[in-house]
Amino acid sequence: MSILFSGRAVGATAAQPNLLQKLLRGIFTHIRQAITSLGELWRSPLWTLITVAVLGVSMTLPTTLHLLVKNIQQVSRSYDQSFEISLFLKNDTTPTEISTLVTLLQGDAQVAKVRLIDKAAAMSEFKQQSGFGEALAFLDQNPLPDVLLITPKINQPAAAEALMQKLQKERYVELAKLDISWLERLAALMNLLQQAVYTIAILLLSAALLVIGNTIRLSIMDKKTEIEVMKLVGATDAFIQRPFLYTGIWLGVFGGFLAFVVVEVMLWWLRSAIATVTQLYQSDFVLNSLTMQEFGWLMLIAVLLGLVGSYIAVRSHIKAIEP
Amino acid sequence: MLRFEQVSKGYSGGFVALDRVSFELAKGEMAFLTGHSGAGKSTLLKLISLIERPSAGRVFINGVDLTGIKPRQIPYVRRDVGMIFQDHRLLMNHSVFDNVALPLVIEGFTGRDMAKRVHAALDQVGLLDKARCLPATLSGGEAQRVGIARAVVNKPPLLLADEPTGNLDPDLSKDIMRVFEAFNQAGVSVLVASHDLGLIARMRYRTMTLKGGRMINDGLLHHEDSE
Repeated sequence: MSILFSGRAVGATAAQPNLLQKLLRGIFTHIRQAITSLGELWRSPLWTLITVAVLGVSMTLPTTLHLLVKNIQQVSRSYDQSFEISLFLKNDTTPTEISTLVTLLQGDAQVAKVRLIDKAAAMSEFKQQSGFGEALAFLDQNPLPDVLLITPKINQPAAAEALMQKLQKERYVELAKLDISWLERLAALMNLLQQAVYTIAILLLSAALLVIGNTIRLSIMDKKTEIEVMKLVGATDAFIQRPFLYTGIWLGVFGGFLAFVVVEVMLWWLRSAIATVTQLYQSDFVLNSLTMQEFGWLMLIAVLLGLVGSYIAVRSHIKAIEP
Repeated sequence: MLRFEQVSKGYSGGFVALDRVSFELAKGEMAFLTGHSGAGKSTLLKLISLIERPSAGRVFINGVDLTGIKPRQIPYVRRDVGMIFQDHRLLMNHSVFDNVALPLVIEGFTGRDMAKRVHAALDQVGLLDKARCLPATLSGGEAQRVGIARAVVNKPPLLLADEPTGNLDPDLSKDIMRVFEAFNQAGVSVLVASHDLGLIARMRYRTMTLKGGRMINDGLLHHEDSE
């Protein structure tokens, strides 16, 4: 495009390329600038390393905390799914009355499942698990009540609580029990932890943003004469900016990957320690690492940080350099 | 091709670099701009390449008023004006080829098309064999010729040179001037700012003389006039 000489065939437009050729040329220019920026990073390895390290560390901490929250949630979820209300029935309830009650409860819209553990079953279970087997044999009468285990339809503490209150009033029910207070506390704690993760992430990432911006600024200052020459021979600001933006993207890619590697190494290191603990607790807990999707998010955030950091530097400094 | 209408340029602090300068450079014309240091030669060239804007008056290139050019459009104007500098302004960590190719890269040329044009430009200044060299390995005259090749590689209709021979000995200066002559003969309008009066007088081209920001002479310069 020539502003001064309307007839003059200028630049790449001279050959009248079609849309596809233009597009390919544009893509080619971008790829070339991206690769050039990658090469530029090796010219100042110290600053590159410092910036990548800052970005990597800043992303490692929030990622680790995120994994911690995720793993705790995974543990607590197995409890979440087993909200169960225990209904201890009155001792003098007859089997007919019990089966009536069971049918009644099964018809209740809020109840998902009803399971009956009668006196005899409870006794044998207790004998097995408690280790009092022989002592219990001396009892002439089974002291255990019949128990109904109710699984509520809605798996939430509040709904389960309401259902329990209702069942408590049933005629044959001696006592209804639902132990959810610790689950609620855990949920509240998890929420707090999650908020902390966000806060820490925002603080660390803004610091990383400033460091990236500063690195790009130094790189711009370093190339001041080059930028002047490019402006003199007709480069647009966009053209001059692009390599620096790509530099930011590369810093983001490396920083994000560094965070990923550090987190993975840390998990690998913790895994054996956790295996010992879970063995002692006879739990089948497995430490979850980053999923493919979470890795994608990590990289995306890192790249965005690099891009935004360099954009801030580029916006304010490239305009200021005039031949 | 190039027209100045009552152009003045003052700087803050009251210094007047150009005072109501008017002249016209025809299409395909070659002219010299001369005067002592501080006479306003560089300022005049800067107004054409839009490094500076005039305080008053108007500058036209090919009939287009540069007053109406928005900052966004400046790069496109510069692509139509080849500029050569006293300190040649080459990128020292890039090869001669890359330096000459820069204006083409900016305009989106790639591959063989680009290489062909770069080689043609280097051939015109006689440096085809130095394409792979770094500017630091070149002599002053060679570096200046690389600067010329870069200015002409995208075939601008107007060529500006600011003291192109300032750092060169007389023989090399003459060579450089011959290169400009060759481009002028190919139809390019050329304006060369120089204080090398002896050389200018011998070349016998139109010469405009600036003194204290005013145009005091416009026409052929005779050797005996030049002090």
